Amino acid sequence: MINKFLGFKPDEKLLPHKTVTADTEIDLSSHKYQKIWLGPNHPGVTGNMAVELTVQGNTIMRAKTHVGYLHRGFEKLIERRLFVQGFPTSIRMCVAEPDTNEYFIARATEELSGYADAVPDYANWLRMLSLEMARLQGLLRGVPGQGGTFALGIGVQWGVYLRDLILDRFEELTGARVYHMYIIAGGVRGNLPAGFKARMEDNLRDIDDFIIKIKKLMFDNSVFKTRAKGLAVITPDMVDKFGIVGTNARCCGVKRDVRKDNPYLFYEKLDFDPPTATDGDVYSRTWIRWQELIQTVDLIRQIMAKMPEKGDIRCQMPNVLNWKIPKGETYVRLESGRGEMGMYYVTDGSDKPRRINLRGPSYNHAISVLEHMLIGVDVADVHAIMVSLQTCPPEIER
Amino acid sequence: MKELIEKLNSKYDLQEIVYQRDNLAFTAIRKENAIDAITYLRDYEEFTHLVMMSCVDWIEDGKFQLLYLLNSPEKKCDIGIKVYIDRENPEMFSAHHLWKSVWTYQRELKEFYGIDFPGSPRVNDDFVVEGWEEIPFMRRDFDTHEYAEKTYFPRGNRKTNDPAEYMRKKLYPNQPVTAKQRKDDK
Amino acid sequence: MSFNLKDILTPFTAWANVVKDPVTIKDPFTREAAPRYRGFHANDVQVCIGCGSCEAICENQAIDLVPIEGVEGIETKDGDSGLRPSVDYGRCCWCALCVDICTTDSLRLTNAYTWVDTDADNFIFTPGVDKKEWDDKQEGWRKPQDGYEFYGKERVHMEEMHSPERIDPKDSFVEFIKGYSKEQAQQEADRCVSCGICTATCPAHMGIPEYIKAIRNDDMEEGMRVLYETNPLPEICGRICTHKCEDVCSVGFKDGSDALSIRWLKRYIADQIPADTNQYKDMLGTGDIAKNDKKIAFIGSGPASLSAAYYLALLGYNCTIFEKLPEAGGMMRYGIPSYRLPYDQINKDVDYIVSLGVEMKYNVNIGTDITLEQLNTDFDAVYAGTGLHLGRSTRIPGSEHANVYQSVDLLRDIVTGAEVPVEKKVVVIGGGNVAMDITRSMARLQMEKYGEVNVIATSLEDEEHMPADREEVVEAREENCEINPGYGPQEVVLKDGKVVGLKVWKCLSIFDETGAFNPKYDESDERIFEGDMVIESIGQGMDLSYLSEEIKTKIEFGPRGRIVVNEDWQAKGLPWLFIGGDIIEGPDVIHGIANGHRGAMAIDQFLNQGR
Repeated sequence: MINKFLGFKPDEKLLPHKTVTADTEIDLSSHKYQKIWLGPNHPGVTGNMAVELTVQGNTIMRAKTHVGYLHRGFEKLIERRLFVQGFPTSIRMCVAEPDTNEYFIARATEELSGYADAVPDYANWLRMLSLEMARLQGLLRGVPGQGGTFALGIGVQWGVYLRDLILDRFEELTGARVYHMYIIAGGVRGNLPAGFKARMEDNLRDIDDFIIKIKKLMFDNSVFKTRAKGLAVITPDMVDKFGIVGTNARCCGVKRDVRKDNPYLFYEKLDFDPPTATDGDVYSRTWIRWQELIQTVDLIRQIMAKMPEKGDIRCQMPNVLNWKIPKGETYVRLESGRGEMGMYYVTDGSDKPRRINLRGPSYNHAISVLEHMLIGVDVADVHAIMVSLQTCPPEIER
Repeated sequence: MKELIEKLNSKYDLQEIVYQRDNLAFTAIRKENAIDAITYLRDYEEFTHLVMMSCVDWIEDGKFQLLYLLNSPEKKCDIGIKVYIDRENPEMFSAHHLWKSVWTYQRELKEFYGIDFPGSPRVNDDFVVEGWEEIPFMRRDFDTHEYAEKTYFPRGNRKTNDPAEYMRKKLYPNQPVTAKQRKDDK
Repeated sequence: MSFNLKDILTPFTAWANVVKDPVTIKDPFTREAAPRYRGFHANDVQVCIGCGSCEAICENQAIDLVPIEGVEGIETKDGDSGLRPSVDYGRCCWCALCVDICTTDSLRLTNAYTWVDTDADNFIFTPGVDKKEWDDKQEGWRKPQDGYEFYGKERVHMEEMHSPERIDPKDSFVEFIKGYSKEQAQQEADRCVSCGICTATCPAHMGIPEYIKAIRNDDMEEGMRVLYETNPLPEICGRICTHKCEDVCSVGFKDGSDALSIRWLKRYIADQIPADTNQYKDMLGTGDIAKNDKKIAFIGSGPASLSAAYYLALLGYNCTIFEKLPEAGGMMRYGIPSYRLPYDQINKDVDYIVSLGVEMKYNVNIGTDITLEQLNTDFDAVYAGTGLHLGRSTRIPGSEHANVYQSVDLLRDIVTGAEVPVEKKVVVIGGGNVAMDITRSMARLQMEKYGEVNVIATSLEDEEHMPADREEVVEAREENCEINPGYGPQEVVLKDGKVVGLKVWKCLSIFDETGAFNPKYDESDERIFEGDMVIESIGQGMDLSYLSEEIKTKIEFGPRGRIVVNEDWQAKGLPWLFIGGDIIEGPDVIHGIANGHRGAMAIDQFLNQGR
């Protein structure tokens, strides 16, 4: 529009390729291309990862994801630890929602040692509460964070404040703010403190306000709409090809939600329907997450209303120092805020796991999907796409 | 689930079948049939979602066990296809043509376990550790603790005591009772 | 692209925040953490026993057990290793697993979370010993309640016969403790935290955590190898050991937690191996022992002698045991009733020792049949483990009457098959384990003869202070014996030359201010326990008649007539004479086994001095 106003008529031949694909030939010696690194330390990148971009002008011709900055060999470390010792290490594999990994280790060891049905109901409700709280705090950062990638910083500040309130509740319930170490084999490590529900309800009311405010700030915002709509479209045929899960799959109408498809804990007792969209772009992904924020608040209210008042928090299990599990293997999964997460857990009859392997949604989202999507987009949109895919490098490197 | 596995068994002669849950089964398939079976499951049995690829090192049997975990979003169940390959010169047929995500897994397995997938794109690129010179670090014979001691700088300001041994030294130092204690004391 | 005016204006609603109060906390450093917050460690070091469970469960190897010097109340003693956990905050991840497993509940995390220091080495500290400002803070992480246990708190129940079945006249001396099944034993063994504090308290210093581990691994042969390292009488000890180990068991430290059933687990291992000496030899690798030319004589075949002979036989010595009575075992056979310790179990242990080439000579009385001097010339060393076989009398009026008996004599007669007088009403004086043995044996004999039980046992000590094991008292009462503790015997009441009862006074205190034995009575509280016979069981003395007058002049006697020995268990003055068993320590089986083992090592050293 501005070009038209100024009467500017560029020479089309000098401009970058209009339609860039993965097959477009790149001749680096032609001096028309440039390589730039985004990350590993860059405020716009999610965590410590780097994207090696080959650009022509502002347009990205090729992208390569580089990870390894957070690699500490957690899976290997857990192989050398007793069954009960694994969970404080596992949570470092996913900073955004550490509770999921605690659940995997607890659930897998319970299943393989035959204690899956022995876990008290009260403990399972508390597990569900902490998992939903983890989703909530992730969304409180993630939804306004999408605005942040378009330089809309104020929503992030609101979100981080409210997230801190949820972390306060975590602190009360679990004894820690970020790495909760709450879900343990056999149950959980603490009951609901007195007055917890009332304080949680206060926070949820603040979040209700926030949900309205953030809608006005982001979704009714012409700048956000202009930047996000039509950007980085995921099409339904990509979903299975790339292994896309969670909100990234739901944004193009593919309804995948582990809570509905393979219900775990007491999700069958809760009333909810995962939101979907049809456009598949950054805007619709963010929009679904905003709807999921509403839904998560509702789920927490449902859980607090439906859970029993008290009960045992852990079933009697073998002495944790002598605990051996017969040879076996299993895969446990759940729906995290970023999609299907799971863990492949192998035991060999000794007192330590043979192998654990975390399947994080980012493994595909941040490598094959991201590299595919960045081709042809503007450099300024890279952060937006990364955040919209909710990439999280620690779960790739493990 | 059971029917499907039976069908698969008649086609590919499965080596072991374990029904772990109602919606999860693990089965082992011979190396040469594996990619064929996975393609069949993807194209004809709606196992369109590749959950993950993984590997377990059964060092005592001299085998690597590859795992292709397939999920059927329609049937809402999972099958884990296990393939045992030789630990010496480990090599497996590439499946990168089936899913776009496979080559990342194969690149990971090449780096973590040293398993080669000829034909897989970028399979030799560094994945998470650059310039690694030891044996692939996820193998069971790689000792993380030993590597850490060797590579980093322990402060050396810690010392612990075993309660039983400490009490022996303290309370009955002149009475080594077992042959081992007598040997230790000498 | 078209712009919607609404979409341009709506975001400006965010300006409403300009008039709102900020939500930021002004001073984050004084913010109090939640009451359950996992902050810095605090340890009540006076309660802590240094069992090291925290170290074992720490996934980051952040905890060391360090010796504590100069803090009052912390020393290495029975039930306390004298070590305390020190935490390396360079490694700690504040997971608090150490708190959750703490066997004493002494360790906790406070909710303090700021600590600034310029020296990195300061962040290794011993909570409770190195004073910190948060030590008195009560908020923080403690072990959760509501069914949250890292190891089983309750002991696996031991199946046993109940009264009256176990005193059924048809087979009244049958063993009534049935022993653990495999599942029960593994479940019980699973409770062990393998701290090893019991090892120091056990007189024989047995490798208790190791053999419990063997049960968990279901490897009975390994279990037997561990047992025989320090104890060659596992079947016997697994039944009648006084289990001092269980008193200090860290698993049983807390109120409401039971100590591990270490004794029954030992019995379980031994019970799984059939009585086949060849199998024993294969298992323990003792089939092929090179003999040497040294000869050692043992006086008495009780636990001390058997234990010493076993370990010396393993070293190739030629051992000969001289026993006054017709069968081996000493007090274990002739003092302990077979409902607690069946004879075939004694034989099982003894047969294996004999199979190693230990020669047994029964019905030989040292001093009369062979003199000690003769033994000295025939053998390279002599080991005397002669035990306490003489009953002590109360010396109250009437106690010299023919119907007043000594418990040791009666117990021996029951075993040898001699005629044992059983009256309708029996009074037993004494509150120890031997008193309970005779009480319950008499009850069984009365059942056989009269079909009913009428035994009264009385002791000076009151209910809480009775020296007998608690279970013995409880079981005796189950068998319809009357236990009346807290009375001092004054006189055996005689009528027409016959015993009719025992006169007692209520005992107020047993020892005076100086700690000397000087009981005080309430003479107004007098009772008469009716009985046709009285059995005295107030302790035993040693019979040293085998020592000739000449030898007695060469050796020294200490308090209560005990032979003075050096730390190698050699009698002072006679280097070839080694002493062991109840006459120097105890009295109980495990002490005998322990000093037998040590005596064996000392004899080995003594005889090898020339080399």
